[in-house]
Amino acid sequence: MSLEQTLNDWTRLRQTHPLPGSHPDLKWAMAIDLDACTGCNACVVACYAENNLPVVGKEKFAAGQAMHWMRIERYWNDTDENSPDHGAQFLPMMCQQCEAAPCETVCPVGATNHTADGLNSQVYNRCIGSRYCSANCPYKVRYFNWYNYPEQEMAWPEPLPMQLNPDMTVRTKGVMEKCTFCVQRLTDAKNTARNEGRQVHDGDVTTACAQACPTSAITFGNLSDPHSEVAQKWRLQRVEIDKDRQLKDIDGSHPGLRGYRIFEDLRPYPSVMYLERVRDTQA
Amino acid sequence: MTIKRILGLFNDFDQATAALRELRGANLPHLDWNDVTIKSPIEHPDVEAVLGVRPIAVRKWTLVGAIMGGSLGFLGIATSQGNFFSQLKGGKPIIPLPPDFVLTYEMLILGGVYITVLGFLVCAGLPTRVKSELYNTAVSEDQIGVMVKSNTHCIAEVRKIFEAHNVLSVQEEVVAS
Amino acid sequence: MSSVTLNGIAMPHVTEEKEKDIREDIAWAQINRDVLASLERPRATYWALFALAFCMFLVGVGCEYYQYNTGLGVSGMNNPDVWGLYIATFIFWIGMSHSGTLLSAILHIIHADWRKPIYRFAEAMTTFSLMTAGLFVAVHLGRLWQIYYALPYPNERWTWPNFQSPLLWDAMAIFTYLSSSILFLYVGAIPDFAICRDNATGWRKGFYDVLSLGWMGTDRQWRNFRVAYLVIACFLIPLAVSVHSIVASDFAMSQQPGWHITSFPPYFVAGALYSGCAAIITLFIMLRHTFRFEEYMTMPILDKTARLTFVIAMVWTYLNLIEYSTVWYGDNAVAKETLIQRATGPYSIYWWSMNFLGSVVPFTLIFKKLRANLTAMMIVSLLLNLGMWLERWMIVTPTFSHGYEPWTWNHEFFPSLVQWGIVFGSFGWFGMLFMLFCKLVPCVSMYEVKEMIFHRKLAKLHTREA
Repeated sequence: MSLEQTLNDWTRLRQTHPLPGSHPDLKWAMAIDLDACTGCNACVVACYAENNLPVVGKEKFAAGQAMHWMRIERYWNDTDENSPDHGAQFLPMMCQQCEAAPCETVCPVGATNHTADGLNSQVYNRCIGSRYCSANCPYKVRYFNWYNYPEQEMAWPEPLPMQLNPDMTVRTKGVMEKCTFCVQRLTDAKNTARNEGRQVHDGDVTTACAQACPTSAITFGNLSDPHSEVAQKWRLQRVEIDKDRQLKDIDGSHPGLRGYRIFEDLRPYPSVMYLERVRDTQA
Repeated sequence: MTIKRILGLFNDFDQATAALRELRGANLPHLDWNDVTIKSPIEHPDVEAVLGVRPIAVRKWTLVGAIMGGSLGFLGIATSQGNFFSQLKGGKPIIPLPPDFVLTYEMLILGGVYITVLGFLVCAGLPTRVKSELYNTAVSEDQIGVMVKSNTHCIAEVRKIFEAHNVLSVQEEVVAS
Repeated sequence: MSSVTLNGIAMPHVTEEKEKDIREDIAWAQINRDVLASLERPRATYWALFALAFCMFLVGVGCEYYQYNTGLGVSGMNNPDVWGLYIATFIFWIGMSHSGTLLSAILHIIHADWRKPIYRFAEAMTTFSLMTAGLFVAVHLGRLWQIYYALPYPNERWTWPNFQSPLLWDAMAIFTYLSSSILFLYVGAIPDFAICRDNATGWRKGFYDVLSLGWMGTDRQWRNFRVAYLVIACFLIPLAVSVHSIVASDFAMSQQPGWHITSFPPYFVAGALYSGCAAIITLFIMLRHTFRFEEYMTMPILDKTARLTFVIAMVWTYLNLIEYSTVWYGDNAVAKETLIQRATGPYSIYWWSMNFLGSVVPFTLIFKKLRANLTAMMIVSLLLNLGMWLERWMIVTPTFSHGYEPWTWNHEFFPSLVQWGIVFGSFGWFGMLFMLFCKLVPCVSMYEVKEMIFHRKLAKLHTREA
């Protein structure tokens, strides 16, 4: 261990994040078009199926102990009552895979970290269930296993266990879980690409929610690939991942821009961009 | 030469101090002043002053302990964070200084306290067996004991000095013949 | 004592002596006897109280057993209300632990010798409060059986705990504080264990023989003892401040509205000292009555403790109000809304009670008549601690019922019976530990009382001569 090596290591170990170019090859990101979203909940159901989420039942849902990694938030705009949808607005909300996630720093055992391909990882085996990550999440997209769903709550009575996704674990009580951008699919795609000696192409893999959406409101892909659909959408909306204020909000000079990120001013640098609904303001 | 110990019990600190002063003034040959000890229910720096300056090494232990605690703490934490380097958290550096500062501070105090206690035990000669030298339970109640170790002739002189200062009781034992 | 005349009118002679903290003419042998009498074989009342504390503890154990086997959902917590009474009571118990440090260490360094008859049980209270707080760390975890993941031990996977997490700083700080407190309590009690050894018979003789390490009161032992005690006291004070600041960082270092406030560390420390002082008054009155320690735990000492409590109450009140002021004055809309919701939302009654109990009730301590009334002081001290417990709860839960996301607003998250049961059980656990302590370790420091009397007698002699 030479002095030079130690000093180089030190520099690397002291870098903060996000930096432009910190994910040169792979950075998974999403764009959700709220104008296309109809609030049909197909994405929610697809997520349940893909990720072995337990259906908790009416009572526990009312108690706020549901496990839906992807949820549709409904907002009602009173001034739009005369519009066809009576002011209803839908926001699909799931883990934003923040580049500077507030949940990562506070886990006492290091069960949540940032991967090299830009995901916020949740390691079920390491989690001891202190729930600090959920307390710190501004989006409240982390879900805790309040009960032992597979064995005690009988969330999958026979023959339903045959429906479970074999690529994904079934979690026991006491662990925290959240949307992973269907990491089991991503790992599979990366392995296939590596075996074939190439990079992951756009369209090779998509998340369950993007796959199920009937209006293609959800776009998923590699933000570091300039030709991918999601990168083009981000570029079109002039949204950059490592900024905490985008062009749309800095001044009113670009009224056509629709892209924004939620709670951007808290600076978690989320990887999900939402496209505002197109409003007919002149009618 | 028989080596004996004598323990004289006094009613209060004044009489014990007076006895010690006279003992010092007597300049007895074959009496090593380090063999004179006081046993008391409470500490009393003035009486101890008559015995002369005796070193208190505990503070050195504290310094060593605190430095060790702080530096080992920081090294341990920084190296373990460095080992975990593939796992970025929250956009912060892999070896962040604020958390490391907090933990180094705690480890400094931990090291300081533990090593001070160890140093206290070593410097005070604890644990020891009560039966290894003369002891009277009145010492833990309200009487002051003065204990001297020397040869038989000196001990006889010491006894006379004790009796001149209203000693309440005297015990003697033979240490070595 | 000559009489004084002013313009020919005889003035009443003002007495030189006001009520003293302790009589200077108590015989040292008497001190030994009185305190050792408290260690004697307990009577029926003791066993009845112990059984009561044990039953309380069993309630807690039962609730935890149910929760451990079924899952944390039975506690009534949900998304977003992920922390409930466990964290609030954890902070409460850590806060109560600052009593010992305040009395043992801070007052020792400024040579306030009136602490001497009362610091031993205060230091014991510190140790047991920390042990009780540790229970809550365990109970609150989803996977308690893997709590050892939070310890930094080398393993084959090269995984370490996350040192950036304030919860982990908690673990290290509380471990340091607990072990240092135990060491401080033990080392400070060695001369007393020697007294017990000299007066004990039967199994106790062997017990105290081991604990006293052969202490004989030699000048070498006293010299090193004095320095070691002072050094540990000097370490304990910054440690206590840092421990509760670190506990405050659990909240201050997060981004949540109502938590992300820089004044939280001193606010928590002030609340801790407040809590501890009030608890000292409670235990003081109970011990004084039970063991008939009227000579040692005197009314002037209670008076001083009560005045100290009032001062700390005012410091806490300031920090509490400044928290509201800065949020109100600031630009963060969500934090402001959270504050308004605390005052007007589902928790308003608890929040207003907390403010009343914490800021208004201590004003009763201004009145000397009330300070001298033991029943009143008992009630006031219990009310103050109730206020402090409510404060901790009001820090934890209202933020969850007004987060950044609008769907979190205005929920009333109320803890289930399981949570209340475990909180109830923790008081039983503390009671059991404290009662065991009272019968095994002298709860008044005999050698320090002797020192107090000795020095006051000397001072009185010198003023008479002068």
